[in-house]
Amino acid sequence: MVKKYTSMAYANADDLIFGQSKFPVKAGLGLEIGGGYTSPEVNYAPRPGAGASKEKLIKEYERITTDIMARMVQIGAPSVVLETEHVQQMSNNPEWGGAVAHAQKTIMEEYHDEYGIKCALRHTIGDIREDRDYLQLRGDKYSTFIEAFEEVAKNGADLLSVESMGGKEVFDYSILRNDTAGILFGIGVLGSMDMEMVWKDISDIAKKTGTVSAGDTDCAQANTAMFIAGGLLDKNLAHTTAIVARAISAARSLCAYEAGAVGPGKDCGYENTIIKSIAGVPITQEGKTSTCAHSDLMGNLVMQCCDLWSNESVEYHGEFGGTTVQCWSETLAYDCSMMNVALKTGKAKDLRDILVLSDKYRDPQGYVLAYDNAYKIGQAIAKDGENNYLRSKNAAIECCNIIEEGANSGKLRLTRFETNALAKVKADLEALTDDADKFMSDNLTKFKQEVAVFKPENYGL
Amino acid sequence: MLDLKLEDIDGILVRYNVALEKEMTPDEAAEELYPKDELIYPVAKAIYEGEEDDVVDALQAAIDAGKKPIDLIDDALMVGMGVVTQLYDDGIIFLPNVMMSADAMLAGIDFCKSQTTEVPEPKGRVVCHVAEGDVHDIGKNIVAALLRANGYEVIDLGRDVPVDEVIAAVEKEKPMMLTGTALMTTTMYAFKEVNDKLLEKGIKIPFACGGGAVNQDFVSQYELGVYGEEAADAPKIADAIVAGTTDITALREEFHKH
Repeated sequence: MVKKYTSMAYANADDLIFGQSKFPVKAGLGLEIGGGYTSPEVNYAPRPGAGASKEKLIKEYERITTDIMARMVQIGAPSVVLETEHVQQMSNNPEWGGAVAHAQKTIMEEYHDEYGIKCALRHTIGDIREDRDYLQLRGDKYSTFIEAFEEVAKNGADLLSVESMGGKEVFDYSILRNDTAGILFGIGVLGSMDMEMVWKDISDIAKKTGTVSAGDTDCAQANTAMFIAGGLLDKNLAHTTAIVARAISAARSLCAYEAGAVGPGKDCGYENTIIKSIAGVPITQEGKTSTCAHSDLMGNLVMQCCDLWSNESVEYHGEFGGTTVQCWSETLAYDCSMMNVALKTGKAKDLRDILVLSDKYRDPQGYVLAYDNAYKIGQAIAKDGENNYLRSKNAAIECCNIIEEGANSGKLRLTRFETNALAKVKADLEALTDDADKFMSDNLTKFKQEVAVFKPENYGL
Repeated sequence: MLDLKLEDIDGILVRYNVALEKEMTPDEAAEELYPKDELIYPVAKAIYEGEEDDVVDALQAAIDAGKKPIDLIDDALMVGMGVVTQLYDDGIIFLPNVMMSADAMLAGIDFCKSQTTEVPEPKGRVVCHVAEGDVHDIGKNIVAALLRANGYEVIDLGRDVPVDEVIAAVEKEKPMMLTGTALMTTTMYAFKEVNDKLLEKGIKIPFACGGGAVNQDFVSQYELGVYGEEAADAPKIADAIVAGTTDITALREEFHKH
């Protein structure tokens, strides 16, 4: 039985700050994440075709690793984390993942030995638990999935992560149909159930191998909503609906830390500030530095409480200023340098607030994720922390209330469409039962009928 | 915490979507577009509202009044869906409304088919797939729904589709267009293989590609590729082909935005 969070790690929102977490994490070669400074976390993807063979792939990651470490030393960056998000070949063939981790770590150790640069290697296993038609969260694929973690942990990875996909089949259907109960069921109930299983096993591997069970992100669901919602002029999903999905995702991603993970949470988990407020774990975030991968509406704001600062992902190739990983690692390192100066000079809270205010009123998503409001979502989750359903519902309702308050103040301006969508979501939420068993039973029946690819046995149901 | 004064916010950012929002509500705009025929109007309105049961009830009423089921597909269901797609293109309604309307329209088509032995004639046939190795299919599902909503017959091969299976489906179904979506740079490479194998067999149909990390530069590298930045580009590319633009260069000229 996992221990659920029922209280906040921070006594008040103003204590949330970048570079410092309640429970710092020592990892890799001399790093202490959340221990009073920020570090860049560089993420990359091999060029198309590089996965044709194991040897080609290893060579590609060796080039990437060397490029990053060399640039960090060239500009005098004191620390860096590298994140390798597995291409499917590396997770489906755990030995490949292990070999890549070993090759990367060997290079990082050489740089650490020669220059003393603090560094760590994160490997993010691909969630390969599916076949062509269905999610296959348990069974044979799960064994390979777990083996992939073991292999990288034994061969040099310091931080273990995944972007798990439990609940995505129901969520994908629901988000395209404004089905609030389905969004809540997919992320808050099914997603949480899968997280509890996955993260207990990953944390066991971390204990066994002396590595760090780092954390997850609701990329598969809340980021899908954010990307469909898009920019201010896009007409694909109300941004008010997207941020409700995000608020629910905090209740879901928190399950990793309840099952033994200690952070740093994954970069694309825009829910991470909420999680930091509850669990006190260090977090990675991405914003203006991840424009190489995608656009968002909170490029500065999301830096507010980060412990590692990431670029999300960039394909490895040449640019005028070097290879992409060199260019982006340098950008990240200069941002971290600025935050670290603010920490040393007692100006961190001022810088944090400037970052927040540059985006807070740009969009309802940034407004809710601003640390003062994120903290309120955290409180709503902790209030019923023992119950995955109720805490998800609380988060969603609190999110609606926060947006309404912002709109009433006149500072957060909404379109009529966003206002109407918000009213619908809130009415849907308020009509939901407080009985988790009834919610489960009603939605199991409904989605077994409506979503052909939904298989309850994936969740042990 | 620090905060901005209300009057200072506009100097920091501009909410263009608020400033430019249309005056008319979606319901008012739809009302202006519905056909006036008293038997067709309720079908179109039920499609717009995404109410499957109401669509079927309205179709039944029209059939009872003497309308032919096969005619109702084009004259009522497609007309109703036309209202929806026009409102979406005009930025008045959002994607979930279109998806729900598309579901309602498909339920309506199934009902009409069940009431007749005649076979409806689609605008054209399109084969859709997600690249081999890639299981992210929400983009493909949107593309397929929008194509169907625009009157195309969609052969949906699903996700993680092996290259040879795509080729076999194209040979069998003889579509006017193939679509491919992918989230990852590592899987989109399969599109080039699909392109090469189609050309080997002498098949030269437009291959509309998009999604996630797919970009115009990549799609331009293979002969049949036409890049679609938005899912909503898929029916527009299909419409252009139906209207006679089958040359890949001409399609790229029209749809490549960068």
